[in-house]
Amino acid sequence: MTKHRFGKLFRRISFLLAPVLLLSLSACPRQERPPGAPPGAVVLTVWFHSGREVERVTILRQIEQFNAMQDEVHLLPNVIPEDTYNEQVQAAAVAGDLPDVLEFDGPFLANYAWQGHLRPLDDRLGEEIYDDLLPSIVEQGTFRGEFYAVGTFDSGLGLYGRRSRLEAVGARIPTSPGEAWSVEEFAEVLANLAAEAGGDAVLDLKLNYKGEWYAYAFSPLLQSAGGGLIDRTDYQSADGVLNGSESVRAMEQVQAWILQGYVDPNIDDAAFTGKRVALSWSGHWDYPRYAEAHGDDLVLLPLPDFGEGTRTGQGSWCWGITTACDHPDEAARFIRFLLEGDNILAMTEANGAPPARRSVIRRSPLYGPEGPLRLFAVQHEEGYSIPRPRTPAYPTITDVFERAFQDIRHGGDVQAALDRAAAAIDEDIRASRGYP
Amino acid sequence: MTRLLNDNTPAAWLMVLPAAVGLGAFVAVPFVLALVLSLTDLRLGSPLPVEFVGLRQYVRIFTDPSFQRALVNNAVFAAVVVPVQTGLALALALLLNRAMRGMVVFRTLFFMPVVFPMALVAVVWELIYAPGPGGTLNSFLGAVTFGWWEPRAFLHDTFWALPAIMALSVWQGLGFQMVILLAGLQAIPEQLYEAAAIDGAGKLSRFWHVTLPQLRNPLVFVVLLTGILAFRVFDQVQILTRGGPHDATTTVMFEAVTAAFTRQQVARASAMTVVFFVIVLAITLAQRMLIREEREVA
Repeated sequence: MTKHRFGKLFRRISFLLAPVLLLSLSACPRQERPPGAPPGAVVLTVWFHSGREVERVTILRQIEQFNAMQDEVHLLPNVIPEDTYNEQVQAAAVAGDLPDVLEFDGPFLANYAWQGHLRPLDDRLGEEIYDDLLPSIVEQGTFRGEFYAVGTFDSGLGLYGRRSRLEAVGARIPTSPGEAWSVEEFAEVLANLAAEAGGDAVLDLKLNYKGEWYAYAFSPLLQSAGGGLIDRTDYQSADGVLNGSESVRAMEQVQAWILQGYVDPNIDDAAFTGKRVALSWSGHWDYPRYAEAHGDDLVLLPLPDFGEGTRTGQGSWCWGITTACDHPDEAARFIRFLLEGDNILAMTEANGAPPARRSVIRRSPLYGPEGPLRLFAVQHEEGYSIPRPRTPAYPTITDVFERAFQDIRHGGDVQAALDRAAAAIDEDIRASRGYP
Repeated sequence: MTRLLNDNTPAAWLMVLPAAVGLGAFVAVPFVLALVLSLTDLRLGSPLPVEFVGLRQYVRIFTDPSFQRALVNNAVFAAVVVPVQTGLALALALLLNRAMRGMVVFRTLFFMPVVFPMALVAVVWELIYAPGPGGTLNSFLGAVTFGWWEPRAFLHDTFWALPAIMALSVWQGLGFQMVILLAGLQAIPEQLYEAAAIDGAGKLSRFWHVTLPQLRNPLVFVVLLTGILAFRVFDQVQILTRGGPHDATTTVMFEAVTAAFTRQQVARASAMTVVFFVIVLAITLAQRMLIREEREVA
């Protein structure tokens, strides 16, 4: 390349770079007060997950309302994609960039609290709100005696069924958690439905889902059998619980359903809406789709009882105040605002989830006394739901259990798969010296 | 031979500097860090003090059946994919290296999978591999074998899962190798073929004695690159099988990412990446020794 051409190229490049440099220079001084913030207001950053559009829009609107209705606190919202939410939180913590108010998925609470990222809410919510919360919301927010975070909604897990097909095989249709099918009855219903369907699959276990679903949806079944993911007396070992005879028996049942061909692989997530199967093991988020596909034929049932009564999952995204926040009282004011009845109602009407406060449940068209999803609320109110293990080891537990579930699904020896999972969990706990 | 140090030395150092800084910051420093971290018990975000644990992480991963299986899977994957993909790429390049109307369209079509993100490719292939007689591949095989083929759940079968991942990887990566070999083919002087033809060489012997030797450097490059990429398999596994069934498709990268980001065990993941680095380095060195790339000596 000749000198002349080189000079020309260089000029061209610097021409291109100049605006970039100018931009980065002008962006340098950090703005102390964002535009729109009233003078003297406390500015708080808020992180929440992008989720479904209806949820995102609702939260953003509520933040705007909060900013507009008073001038002491100004919120700066920041939407974070949920696939890598935990990674972003961990990275922000390392960089000292945590927001003031943080929304996060319930099962991570123990991990964040143990890592020292969360500040206890203490009694900042006030008795009126606290006493009105669902027991499952309080349980999810509590770690080692401190209350750290509160959700504006919970989640619901159960069996959706098609009334016509259940009635065609003469199945009893339970309407409350106490009337749940026993595991034997459930196996019989499956067999009858399969015979009626000429050997086609009849049950959807959402085998297309990946990640958190397995611990959320199937650990209640271990609990119902008298087992579990970990020994909950001190959270120091999974050995003897996850691979104990009760858990093994429960997972052998699930394996039997799958190997007998009762379960649809559901790759297109349309096993139930496409009317291929009669039963779908799923959560509140599927209700709008299912109701649209089946109308009056849709029934909501409790999960089968494996011996100790039916159990179900709980927990969802919740709000906490981080240790990076210098104004916890102002932050709590925002969380109290989100928990106001009308705001909870707006959110839960948008996303279909069970409201976190009993007083709101009574007003909710979906969860009220005559609501179609009443069962989900009853399960939480009457103590049938069990939080996922509240231990900092949870990220490992959920990953290990998902792998074990996949091995079992593919016909592996149940005892061996659960032995391996329990050993991996115990190794993790030992490596962190028992998470002191 | 020029002296080691001469008047040009400062200028030479200056010119090396940008590349050296880049290599140092993005290759050397992370590797040394991984090496150091792998000797500790560091966990992401843990408030506990970090302790030096010597080689304990290495003992753990080498006694972990999933990691052992990952090493075997990577080896099998490379042993099959490298020759198959290179062979097919060469065949395609030969096929497309002729003057014909509309050739650009064919070349573009065959190159297209390379442009698609792996996430998209994986989702499409998930539908192709769908279980039951309704799955695309199952119904195709059923039709061509007149119903003799029994439908399988390819991605959930301990025998078929890894070959299924291999097939889609070959399909996706093929175009890139093809383009490199195509460029190599077009750089071969026409006179060589003419001379060979005058000497009475047939089509086959022109391929053996002119095309292959002339393609040596592009082929070495393609084999090396495919070999290294074969050890980096991750996306398709993460999306399609998550290492299952029964670890049949797990890979070193998948195990490392799971350890670091899902289970927050950074030290353990570091040990895995160090092992990964050593393996890739060993392969590269071995290949360089076996087939020396011919260089034009300046």
